[in-house]
Amino acid sequence: MKYIKVFVPILLALIVGACAKPPQHITLEQNKPEIDAALKAYADVWSKANQITVTIKSVGGSSGIDLGTQLKADFAAGDMPDIFAIAGLEDYKQWSNLTLDLTGEKWINDTSVPFKVDGKVYGFPVAVEGWGLAYNADILKKAGVDPLTLNNYAAYKAAFEKIDAIKASLGLKSVVSMAASIDMSWVTRDHNFNSLLSNGLPYGDKSVTNDLLAGKVDAKRLSEYADWVELLFKYADKAVLTTGNYDAQVGAFASGKAAFLHQGNWVDPNMAQAKATFAMAFAPHGSMAQATDGIFVAAPSFYVINKNSKNIPAAKKFLTDLVYTDAGNKYMVVDALMIPAYKNITLSPAGQLSKSVQAWAAAGKIYSWNQYYFTQEFREKTLAAIYNQFATGAINKARFIDLMTKAFESLKK
Amino acid sequence: MRKAKHPAIFWLFLAPVLFAFVIVIVVPFILGAYYSFTNWSATDRLGETLKLVGLANYAGILKDPSFTYSFIITVVYTLLNMIAINIVSFALAMLVTQKLVGRNVYRAGFFIPNLIGGLILGYVWQFIFDNAVPSLGTFLGFASWENPANLLLAKSNTALLAMVVVGTWQYAGYIMVIYVAAIEMIPQELVEAAQIDGASTFRRLRSITLPMIRQALTVTLFITLVNSFKQFDVNVSLTAGGPSAMFLGQPIYGTQLLAMNIYNQGLKSDDMAGGQARAVVFFLVLVLVSIIEVSINKKREIEL
Repeated sequence: MKYIKVFVPILLALIVGACAKPPQHITLEQNKPEIDAALKAYADVWSKANQITVTIKSVGGSSGIDLGTQLKADFAAGDMPDIFAIAGLEDYKQWSNLTLDLTGEKWINDTSVPFKVDGKVYGFPVAVEGWGLAYNADILKKAGVDPLTLNNYAAYKAAFEKIDAIKASLGLKSVVSMAASIDMSWVTRDHNFNSLLSNGLPYGDKSVTNDLLAGKVDAKRLSEYADWVELLFKYADKAVLTTGNYDAQVGAFASGKAAFLHQGNWVDPNMAQAKATFAMAFAPHGSMAQATDGIFVAAPSFYVINKNSKNIPAAKKFLTDLVYTDAGNKYMVVDALMIPAYKNITLSPAGQLSKSVQAWAAAGKIYSWNQYYFTQEFREKTLAAIYNQFATGAINKARFIDLMTKAFESLKK
Repeated sequence: MRKAKHPAIFWLFLAPVLFAFVIVIVVPFILGAYYSFTNWSATDRLGETLKLVGLANYAGILKDPSFTYSFIITVVYTLLNMIAINIVSFALAMLVTQKLVGRNVYRAGFFIPNLIGGLILGYVWQFIFDNAVPSLGTFLGFASWENPANLLLAKSNTALLAMVVVGTWQYAGYIMVIYVAAIEMIPQELVEAAQIDGASTFRRLRSITLPMIRQALTVTLFITLVNSFKQFDVNVSLTAGGPSAMFLGQPIYGTQLLAMNIYNQGLKSDDMAGGQARAVVFFLVLVLVSIIEVSINKKREIEL
């Protein structure tokens, strides 16, 4: 009996305590390993301020494991996170039954790139990112190439030939740092592929994308695009092109061994790490004979909230606080080095390439990202292999065009 | 064998293992087999429900050249790997059962690669093939080593060979231990008698050592066969399935072994049920091949 006298109050206290303060916990799963540390640090601060614990999981960085794969495993295990990232429409479709309608959230008024389906907002843009062809301004200056002229195929061809002829004296190993191995195929099948889909078209124009999805190929556009791919592959370092990983590709540019880099502004932290001090910026892609004065800028991923989450208000608050608190703004821009997708945020990221993206966006010279309207299966299984065949020299340009055409025709339902 | 007096205790002691076995092997296996006849996707789409689709997933396998290709190269890889691992590990076993100075150090040293996880191993060897070899070529003045066209991982055929090299490096030490145990079990009087009769080293190897380690050979061939057939982690990290190759007029991943093909079909192509159907086929083939392999070998073993 003695024990019970002690035990009962403790039990009661525990029950009361549990009722008085329901344990609030949210889990966020995202796809950018480069911001993992900054996000975790911010989540800690936010946790303390709001008495809600936050678990951050970051998955990505290679084609072996990506967030989509992890989410499927989580879903099968009945352990879906409260907030997770999607890249676009195809990702959204996979989870369309459990994404919460966010229409009416405050931040929607402050962003131009929310993720919408049928007029309803489902995704919180994580940041704005962009890519063109990054160039080393110092090397271009020495070689006598004006980056402002680089906006179509002929200009790039002339510039590449000019630089290639004197590359030894400039200390270059190759003109372009390009990667096309299967492991790095996101550079080709996602980013480079988008040149075919949206270069030179008004922002948001999906005409070419929809035609290709319906199996209709614009032979002239594809042929000009193939010239561009061939040019990039021809002037790339073959070792980096066929077997290089991310470090090899970005490292070649950072160490001044390549004048151009086919990557986006997310390499800014890598440039800082490698102590690259030269001036750099983005030039448009030269995938067409006509001049295309703009680079590809959009929100790379969106946070969506799990409809079945037990902590929806907490999850909503977490997202809103990113936009409307100083700590949230500082995390996004200063710590994670991202370009904010919200116009109320006045901070600006420090990286040169991010600044270049902001400058292009401010001038309104931007083209959309349409690659994610194609399924992951199509991009990874079919396109990745075609680009890789072309890169290793196993097929020529005519065969490349032929295989691409067949691939698009196979999409016709 | 004596009959168990207390069946209850027998089952009680077996229960933890049995429980684990049922939960992690039997149940997933049955569920997986069931899912292979459905449209399961592991995602949550609006208006999509789980329904039976009959043999559609199995029919899909036949239509996909990448599966056929993966099947062929997996067989090739398995054969090469079995031969390479067994020859190397047997040679190492012969070496470390000689009266060598520091042979225990060698035994431990050869075994260590087996303790490194396959993923890490793949990345380490990727660095060796892509960076260390060309740098060594520069240092030694071999221009052909620096030529990007000659990199092992740049072409699908040589990349498969690179995987055999890594597979051998990883498993030779482990298989060596089994051979060492078998070699040390050979009765010394047989060897001595042969020596007195004037049998050469080669003759003793052929007529005594090889027949006497036959049982070990059954085990090692089985282990190398199954492990090579199921290779996944080194595949992912070393080549990620690349470089590409052409097969039946279609560009496909050139070094994608069966396990990775199943994984990609399920998770990348968003077709879990299709991947599951492939896994069932994979299981049946592996069981069939293993049974044939073991039964052939069993016939040739020598009872002591």
